[in-house]
Amino acid sequence: MPQPPIVERLYRLLLRCYPGEFRDDYEREMMRAFRERLAHDRALGPGAVLRLGLQLLVDAVVRAPREHLDVLRQDGRYTLRSLRSAPVFAITAVATLALGVGANTAIFSIVHAVALRPLPYEASDRLVRIWERNDSLSIPDFAVSMPNFISWRERATTVDIVGWRGGSVTLRGPGDPVRVQSVNVSPDFFRLLGVTPLAGRVLVEADTAANAGNPALIRDSLWRGYFGGSPNVVGSTVTIAGQPYTIVGVIPGSSIPLSAEFFMPLRFDPTTETRGNRIANVMGRLKPGFTFAQGEQEVQAIASQLESEFPDSNRRWSITMTSVYDWLIPEETRRALYVLLGAVGCVLLIACANVANLMLARTAARRREMAVRLAIGAARRRLVRQVLTESMLLTALGGAAGILLAYWAVPVIRQWLPETLTRADEVTVSAPVLLFSFGVCMLTGLAFAVLPALASSRGHVTDFLKEGGRGSSAAGATPRQLLAGAQVALATLLLVGAGLFIQSLQRLQRVELGFDPRGITTAMMGVQGERFATQGGPWNLFYRPLLERLAAAPGVEGVALSSGAPFGGGNTGMPINAVGDSLMGEAALQTDWRMVNPDYFKTMRIPLLRGRYFRPGATDENELIVAATMARRMWGDADPIGRQISAGPNGIWTVIGVVGDVRNLDLSLAPAPTMYLSTTRFVWPTMTVIVRAGEGAQPAALLRNAVRELDPQLAVFNVREMEALIDDSAAQPRLSASVVGLFAGIAAVLAAIGIYGVLAYLVSQRTQEIGIRMALGASRPAVLRLFLGRGLVLTAGGLVAGVAGSLAISRWVGSLLFDVQAKDPWTIAIAGSTVAAVALIAGYIPARRATRVDPLTALRAE
Amino acid sequence: MPRDLESEVQALLPLAPAFLHILIALGEGERHGYSIMQEVADRTSGRVRMSPGTLYGSIKRMLADGLIEELTTGTAGADERRRFYRLTKFGRRVAAAEADRLSSLLLQARASGLVPKRS
Repeated sequence: MPQPPIVERLYRLLLRCYPGEFRDDYEREMMRAFRERLAHDRALGPGAVLRLGLQLLVDAVVRAPREHLDVLRQDGRYTLRSLRSAPVFAITAVATLALGVGANTAIFSIVHAVALRPLPYEASDRLVRIWERNDSLSIPDFAVSMPNFISWRERATTVDIVGWRGGSVTLRGPGDPVRVQSVNVSPDFFRLLGVTPLAGRVLVEADTAANAGNPALIRDSLWRGYFGGSPNVVGSTVTIAGQPYTIVGVIPGSSIPLSAEFFMPLRFDPTTETRGNRIANVMGRLKPGFTFAQGEQEVQAIASQLESEFPDSNRRWSITMTSVYDWLIPEETRRALYVLLGAVGCVLLIACANVANLMLARTAARRREMAVRLAIGAARRRLVRQVLTESMLLTALGGAAGILLAYWAVPVIRQWLPETLTRADEVTVSAPVLLFSFGVCMLTGLAFAVLPALASSRGHVTDFLKEGGRGSSAAGATPRQLLAGAQVALATLLLVGAGLFIQSLQRLQRVELGFDPRGITTAMMGVQGERFATQGGPWNLFYRPLLERLAAAPGVEGVALSSGAPFGGGNTGMPINAVGDSLMGEAALQTDWRMVNPDYFKTMRIPLLRGRYFRPGATDENELIVAATMARRMWGDADPIGRQISAGPNGIWTVIGVVGDVRNLDLSLAPAPTMYLSTTRFVWPTMTVIVRAGEGAQPAALLRNAVRELDPQLAVFNVREMEALIDDSAAQPRLSASVVGLFAGIAAVLAAIGIYGVLAYLVSQRTQEIGIRMALGASRPAVLRLFLGRGLVLTAGGLVAGVAGSLAISRWVGSLLFDVQAKDPWTIAIAGSTVAAVALIAGYIPARRATRVDPLTALRAE
Repeated sequence: MPRDLESEVQALLPLAPAFLHILIALGEGERHGYSIMQEVADRTSGRVRMSPGTLYGSIKRMLADGLIEELTTGTAGADERRRFYRLTKFGRRVAAAEADRLSSLLLQARASGLVPKRS
């Protein structure tokens, strides 16, 4: 047969643009029409041929897609009809998918908002934080002394360096005095971050001059709140500690990585600042063309120079540099978020497996229908596409429902997020999140459609019809068993994870605090001003009368004062040396310190182990109470009472008592060496008042009233219940435990449905065989064993895979756990037996149904 | 005409131009695909030349709508057998209704002076 001319072959190629069914119907006719038309048009001349060619191209781009759309619409209508006739299947599948997609959308919205979005600062990928570091004191990151900061800034050529000092101030402005977090910043801070003010200007270099007055910036939140959004705020004046400050601008809070609301210029007084007084925070931006490593190396080298130039203050002090991203969103946090994402990913996989199983069951049940359709001429690809269309439609419905679910769930989840989580308040179902969900849906649709599509494309018409629509008992069973096994594996993995996180949380919440948090309310306040300037003034003039007043109030069981209550945020510490013999030798011990009043230990119920408490009434003696860990680190088992320590420029102190250790900062951190000084000698600028009250008392109101009566100008802030503060400290572990726990529960249910489905299917496929077995004398227990055994094999396979998986990721999860090993055999055993028990129950129901088969009925059905 | 049939007819109006051309071409009897194409071209002095895609796309839809039906005939072997199409009763009604619609439109256009009285 001669080759057809090239134009004909070209046209045949163009016809490939049409759907298969259309080509089956019309390709030959169209070829013939084309041939005749071409012959006719050739006679008319090249213009007509050209017109024909153009028409054919238009056909390929316009008409062919329209035919595809037609087929799609037809398939869609058919699918809708067939789904409507199987509502239980449709609803189960859509609900399962909605759960999977919804959970993934919700968790991804957190991951995206917190960890994936770039930080909203100019060139944020080049921003770094720099700390001082002292390995001999085991301090990985510490504040920077002002002179060191200035030296770094002057000498560094690869990094632009800015600094700030945090604090809090009481503003007296348009309304009642208000306590706000403040920060003194070096003026180039705002230029470095690329801050654009909402009104007025940012601070500039000239503002640091001594004669520049007191310019200040406010955050937009303070402007809207305290200043009521007044348009005249720029240029207005507020008073801080008797000094007038002029507000020169308002900045958007989202443009800086600090939570302060009031900004003043950082002034450096070389006559009073010392290199050993480490109080400033430092941030930098790598100059273009320099890498992180180059910047780090240079600042490290500068620190070494300073160490040799100023050995007294800088010996053994080096630096730590991290990216601002790592500072704001620590690796631990990201890891915890990815674990959650992994958990919901598992749920989605299980959901896919379940829907795939449902579809396989449906395909099997519809084999007769499929066979008939094949027999009367439907193309096999049409049947495959039917399955794909069905999966796509289910995915679209499930995905849409899932995204709606996420819209509803995200605001709820936002409430559970730890307050310390950066950008937690910005978690929303945003456009990129929707894109992610869309991608998830596409993959989901394909994932669960592959096996059913393959199953429906295999087999022969005659086989289908000969089997009388029952299908061979093996058809479709293997993939279904594999899917059920995979579900068991994933559910095991999630249950192990949930077990670990829940145990970790429980241990964290049961941790020995060292004090009794029940009934304690804390409140912070700062005494400033002329009348408190004298030594001992704040204690005698304000705090002692306040404590007396509070102690006398009804319902109050105890009151105390500290420079920082446990879990109040922030820490104060210094290196100290023993005077005379000690285990530390010449080395210093980094020690946290607190100023507390004599009643502090009694009120907090911190046990006295040796010696005595501080005596009430002012004293000139340098008395010190130490916590057990510090005493042990310094002097081992020797009696510390009467021993002395040297606190650098702060003089020599004598130990008069030893108290129990207290967890001050975080539930998961072991108590650090701590010492206590008496407030009768010193008071810190910001103090925390502690009230222990019985049931029914209202300590918060009591505190506010008592302070107002003493000093109406004084702002009380951070009024919190101790148990709430401790709760906050466990927010991240609680989130992990509750989310993973919730999804593990869902996973177990889905896996149970999976196993039930497979066994029920096997039983229905083998009814006849069971009938024969029973007719031949097989006992009911034997039949039960047969099917239950099948279920157990599935479960065992899944369990082994799940346990292997959980061991494989244990190293990754381990760092998120408190006091629990990631390979904890008990957790794995309990999770495994839970899965096994659930699987057993799920398998028992269909297996028992198999034993109820009446041999006569089963055989008669043939 | 029964009401439901009438509404079925009305639901198809206005017809796509290609549909109407094909209905008219089939007005005098059955034709195969290329012959329809040729007839439309002749009736429009070569101005309307349908592409195979337009022709068979329209035929497919018109078959589905019941406007035309297919009959297999011819004397050659099975491979050479051509597919012939002819109007159904329903197709005739739809064509007539479309013609009515167009002529009343034409009358309105004349009445408003848009078209010369004698063409």
